[in-house]
Amino acid sequence: MAARLVKITLLGLVVAIAIWAAFPLAENHAWIGLGILVATTAGLLYLYLTRRHIPAKYLAPGTLLLVAFQVFPVLYTASTAFTNYGDGHRGSEEEAVVAIQTASVTQVPGSVQYALSIATTGDPATGPLVFLITDPATKTTKAGDAKGLKKLDPADVTVGVTGKVTAADGYTVLTAGQASLRSKEITALAVPVDGGAIRSSGLSRAYEGKAGRLYDKGCDCIRDTTTGKVWKADRRTGSFVAADGERLAQGWKVGVGFANFTRVVTDPDISGPFLRTLVWNFVFAIGSTGGTFLLGMFVAVALHSQRVRGRNLYRVLLVLPYAMPAFAMLLVWRDMFNKDFGLINNFFGIGVDWLGQPMTARIAVLLVQLWLGYPYMFLVTTGALQAIPGELSEASRIDGAGPWQSFRRIVLPLLMVALTPLLISSFAFNFNNFNAIYLTTEGGPFQPDNPANGATDLLITYTYRLAFGGSGAQYGYAAAISIFIFLIVGTISAIAFRRTRAQEEVYA
Amino acid sequence: MRWLKKVGWRHAVGLLAIVFSLGPILFVISAALNPLGTLSSSRLMPTGVSLDNFTKLLRDTNFGQWFLNSVIIAGTASGVAVFVSALAAYVFSRRRFRGRRTGLLSLLLIQMFPQFLAVVAIFLMFGAITDYWPAIGFNTWWGLVLLYLGGALGVGTWLMKGFFDTVPRELDESATVDGAGHAQVFFRILLPLVAPVLAVTGLLAFISTINEFIFANIFLTDSSAKTLSVGLWGLVAAEQRNTNFGMFCAGTLLTAIPTVLVFQLLQRYIVEGLTAGAVKG
Amino acid sequence: MRIRAVGVAAALTLALIAAGCGDKANKSDKSGNAAGASAGAKATGELVIWADDKRAAALKPFADKFGTENGVTVKIQAISKDQQTTFVTASQQGSGPDVTVGAHDWIGNLVQNGAIDPVQLSDTQKSGIAANALKAVTFNGQTYGVPYATENLALIRNTDLAPQAPATIEDLIGTGQKLVKDKKAAEILCLQVGQTGDAYHLYPLYSSAGGYLFGTTASGDYNPKDLGVGTPASVAAFKKIAALGEKGSGALKRSITSDNSISTFTGKKCAFLVSGPWAITDVKKAGIKYDITPVPGFAGGKPAQPFLGVQTFYVAAKGKNKALAQEFVTNYVTTPDLAVALYQAEPRPPALTAAFDQVKGTDPDLAKWQAAAKDAIPLPSIPEMAAIWDPFGKAEAAIVGGADPAKTIEAAGKTISGSINK
Repeated sequence: MAARLVKITLLGLVVAIAIWAAFPLAENHAWIGLGILVATTAGLLYLYLTRRHIPAKYLAPGTLLLVAFQVFPVLYTASTAFTNYGDGHRGSEEEAVVAIQTASVTQVPGSVQYALSIATTGDPATGPLVFLITDPATKTTKAGDAKGLKKLDPADVTVGVTGKVTAADGYTVLTAGQASLRSKEITALAVPVDGGAIRSSGLSRAYEGKAGRLYDKGCDCIRDTTTGKVWKADRRTGSFVAADGERLAQGWKVGVGFANFTRVVTDPDISGPFLRTLVWNFVFAIGSTGGTFLLGMFVAVALHSQRVRGRNLYRVLLVLPYAMPAFAMLLVWRDMFNKDFGLINNFFGIGVDWLGQPMTARIAVLLVQLWLGYPYMFLVTTGALQAIPGELSEASRIDGAGPWQSFRRIVLPLLMVALTPLLISSFAFNFNNFNAIYLTTEGGPFQPDNPANGATDLLITYTYRLAFGGSGAQYGYAAAISIFIFLIVGTISAIAFRRTRAQEEVYA
Repeated sequence: MRWLKKVGWRHAVGLLAIVFSLGPILFVISAALNPLGTLSSSRLMPTGVSLDNFTKLLRDTNFGQWFLNSVIIAGTASGVAVFVSALAAYVFSRRRFRGRRTGLLSLLLIQMFPQFLAVVAIFLMFGAITDYWPAIGFNTWWGLVLLYLGGALGVGTWLMKGFFDTVPRELDESATVDGAGHAQVFFRILLPLVAPVLAVTGLLAFISTINEFIFANIFLTDSSAKTLSVGLWGLVAAEQRNTNFGMFCAGTLLTAIPTVLVFQLLQRYIVEGLTAGAVKG
Repeated sequence: MRIRAVGVAAALTLALIAAGCGDKANKSDKSGNAAGASAGAKATGELVIWADDKRAAALKPFADKFGTENGVTVKIQAISKDQQTTFVTASQQGSGPDVTVGAHDWIGNLVQNGAIDPVQLSDTQKSGIAANALKAVTFNGQTYGVPYATENLALIRNTDLAPQAPATIEDLIGTGQKLVKDKKAAEILCLQVGQTGDAYHLYPLYSSAGGYLFGTTASGDYNPKDLGVGTPASVAAFKKIAALGEKGSGALKRSITSDNSISTFTGKKCAFLVSGPWAITDVKKAGIKYDITPVPGFAGGKPAQPFLGVQTFYVAAKGKNKALAQEFVTNYVTTPDLAVALYQAEPRPPALTAAFDQVKGTDPDLAKWQAAAKDAIPLPSIPEMAAIWDPFGKAEAAIVGGADPAKTIEAAGKTISGSINK
C-alpha cells in the first residue's frame, strides 16, 4: 500500500509539474509545445496506470531526459550539416538586412550632436515617445517624433546644466530608469529631417544619421544610397553579391543540400591524411581503453585480498588522479613534458623533446591517458570483484588450480561479463576524447609542410581545426564531418556490440 | 617468504601505483604551497611553504560559493542519474523486449556525437526554456542539472547492466514465484545486491559532473553561480596563466576534496562484505 | 480494479490540488507583474554586461554606480572561456548580453554576424581617445566600440643583468649569449614560441625582417586579397628568423611557451622578455629591476612593429536594452574615471587621453609602453585574420625547430589562402 501511495504522489507531482509548465506555454500561444506537453503527460499517466509495458515503465524517465537534452540537440546539430550555418551565416535574411542597414548608418557630415531627453505626451510607461533635443550651440529646443521635428517655445522649456531638457510644458520627461524600459522603441525611433533622420545615441545624446545602404524589396537587393552600387541577394550562398563579385560580410543561413558532404569527400586536406589519422585514432582509443583497463584491473586484483592491510588508504590515494579536475591535470602534464623546463626531463636528467616528435608525443598522450583513466578502471573492477563470490575461486583452488588459473578461468570471464559493455563505451568515449589531445599537444607535432594535420590529431580535433580554424566557425561543415565520423565509429561499435551477444546469452 | 608471495607483492603493486598516481599531484601540491606560485619556479619539492595561495584563493575569489554550487549540482545530478540509469539497467538486463538491443546500441552511439557542436542547439533550447520557465533556464542550478540528466542513461546504464548481468537470475525468478512484483524484485532484491556498483556509478557520475566544463561555462555566467571547473578555468585563462598558477593548483587540490569525501562515504558499499553473503543464496 | 479506480481518483485529486496551487502561484505572480508595471516609476530596465573574469571584477563598482545614478539594474557576468564565440552564439539565440567587453580584433567577426552595432561618438569624444586606438576600432569606416585600454609588446629587460637596452636583435643576442656563457642566465631571450608557435609574439621580428600578413587598401584598411604569407618576402623574413632558432643562435626555442616565458624571466633565468603590460605585475612581484623598451629589430632591417591591441566596449546588436547599452558605452565609458579604475585593476595604458594623463605621473611604465607602440600597427580585425593564426604559428614553430623556411612558409601560405577562399 505504501508503494501505491508513493506511486500516486509521484504521478500527482508529474501532473502538477505539467500544469505548472503549461501556463507559460498557453499564455504565449505556443500550441505545439503545449500539445507535446499534454501528450507526454497523458502518455506517462497511461503508462504508469496500466499493468502492461513493464520495460517502458523503467525506461521512461531516463528516455524522456535523453530525448529532450541529448537526442534533440544532436538531431538539431546534425540537421545543420545541410546548411551553410556558421560565422557570417547565422541568422535569417531579414536579420542580415537589419544588420547591414544598421551598420551603414553614419552621422551626416557637418551635422550637430544634440543633447537628448526622452519624453512622452502620455503615460511614462505607454505614451507615445518624443525626443526633446537641444542644439548645444544655439540652445534652441525641438521636439521630434516619427512625423518630424517641431520647434518648442523657449518659455515652455527648462534646460538643465548638461544642456538636456529637464521639463517642458505638455511633455513628461522620462527618467533613465523609465526610459530604459522602453529601449526598443527608443532605438527604433528615427525623427525624419532633410537629409537623414535624428536618432538616439544612448539616452542623453542624439545625432543626425543617414543609412548608407538600404534594402530594396523590389529587386531583393541592397543599394548604396550615395554610389548607387547594388548587391543582389544570392539565395544559393546566402549573401548579397555585387556585379563585380564583391560580397557583403553579413550573410544568412540557407540550405546547401549535400554540398558540405561532397566537400568532405573531395577536400584533399581531409582525404589526404584521413587514413593515417583514423589509424592513430584507433590506436589511441584502444590504447587508452586497453591500457587503463589492464593496469586498473591488475592493481584492483592485487589489492583485492582480505590480507592486504590498509586497503582503504590505498584506494583513496589511487583514486586521487581521477578526483582532480581532468582539464587542470592535462595542463599540468603538458608542462611536465616540456623539453627544457619540464619536470620529467629534469627529474630523469634527459633531454627528450617529448611533444616535438611524433612517436614520443604519441607515447606521452597515451601515458597521460593511462594516468588519468586507470583509477576509473580500478574502481570499476574493484566493484565488480566484490560482486563475484569469493567461494567460486576458492572452490577452484580446492580443485587444484593455481591462483593464476583460477583467476583466468573463473574470475576473468565473470569480470568480462560485467565490464565488456563498459569497455565498449569507454572506447567510444576515448575515440572522441577532444580534451585529452587539445589540452596537451593540440594535435601536434605537425609536419612543416602540413599545418592542418598533426601526429596526435584525432578525427575530432582535426574536425575542430578544419571547421573553426579557418575563416571563423563553420558549423554546417563541422556537422557534416561529424556525421561521417559518427557513421564510422557507429559501424565499428555495432559490430563489436554484436560479438558480445554470445557472451551475454550465457547469463541472460 | 610465504608472506611475500601471498601478500607482499600486493603491497608492492599498490605502492608502485601510488607513486605513479601521486607524482604529478605532488607537483601540484608543491606549486600550491610555493609562495611565488609561478610555473617554472615549481619543482617536485616545494621551495618554500606558505598557504598564501589558499588564503588568496578564498579571499579574492568566490571559491566558497563555487564549491557549494558544484557540490549541489554534482550531488543532485549524480544522485538522480544513478537512480534513472539503475531503472533502465534493470530492464535491459532482466527483460527481453523489442528494441532492447537497438536501445542499448543507441545509448552508446548518442554519446559519440561531439559535444562542442551541440552548444548551438543547447543555446537555442535553453533560450526558449528561459523565456517560458525562467526557474529552469540559464543561470539556474535546475537547468544545468536537467541538462546533465540528459546524459544520465548514457554510460551509467551500460556500467550497471553489466553488473546486473552478474547477479544470478534464479534469485529474482524465485522471488517472482513467491509472488513478488517486478518493482519489488527491483527495489527489494536487486538494488541491495548491486549496491557496490550503485556507489561506483554514483561516484563516477559525481566526478564527471563536477569536472564538466563546456556547458557549465555557457550556462552559469553570474559569478556567484559558477561551478568549480569554470571558476578555476577563469583563473588561468589567457595571460593570467602564470600569475595565478599557484592559486589554480590550490583550487585543484581543494576541488578533489568533495570527491574524496564522497568516495570515503561510498567506500563502505564498494568494499567487500555487503554482497558476499547475499549472492550465496 | 477498485483499488486502481481509487488510485486514479487520488491522482486526479492530487493533480487538482496541485493545479489549484499552481494556478494561485501563477496568479499572484501575475499580479506581482502587474504591480510592477503600474508602478512604472520604480521599475527599472536591466543592463547585462559580459567580460572576462578579471575585468568583470574591476567593472563591478562602476556598473553599480551607473545603475544607481540612472535607476537601472546592471548585471556583470564573467565568461571564463570562449567569450567571443559564446557571445555570438548567445546573441543569435537571443540570450546574449547588452554590452560585451573584448579585444578590438573581434570586430570583423562580430560585424559579419550582425552581433554588434556601431556607436556614434561626438567629435569631442573622439578627440579624447588616442588616435591609434580609435583607428583600431574603426572598421569599414564605422566606429564599432569605445576603446578603454591599449596593449602592445615591448622588450622588458632585467637591468641588473643587462644595463644597456639593445639597439638591434643582434645586440640582444650578443648580450644574451654572453650572459649564458657566464652562467648568469640560462636562456638568451624569453619570447614565447611553444609547440604550435605564436604569431602575435613573433610579429615584431617578422615585420622587421620584411614580412607582412595582409597588405592595405588605398583607404588604409587591411586587404584580405593581398596575403603576405608565402610570398618571397615572407620566405626571406623566415630565413632570418631561422637563424635565431634552435639550429641557429638558440634565441628562439619551442620549449619557451606561454606558460613559462614570463616565469623564466621573473626567475632571473633570462635577461630579456618580449611581452605586454600583463607581465608587469609578475615582474614587480618578483622584485626585478626592469626597463621597458621597444622590441629591437634586425640590424639594417625595417622597424619591428608590434601589434596594437585595443580593449573595447561593444554594444550588442541583439541586446534587449540597446538604448541603455548605447548610453553606457558612448556616454559613460568615455569618461576617464572608469578607464582609470580599469587601469588600476590591470596596468594597461588607458586609451582615453584624459585617463592616461591622470595616471602617467604615478606610473613611468606607461610612457614606455606608449613609446614601444610608436611603430605598432593595429591587430587586423578582418575576419580573414582567423585563418592566419594557426598555420602561421605552426610554421613558426617548425622553422624555429629547424625546418626549411621556404617549404614551410609556402605550405602555410597555401593553407591560409585555401581557408580564406572557402
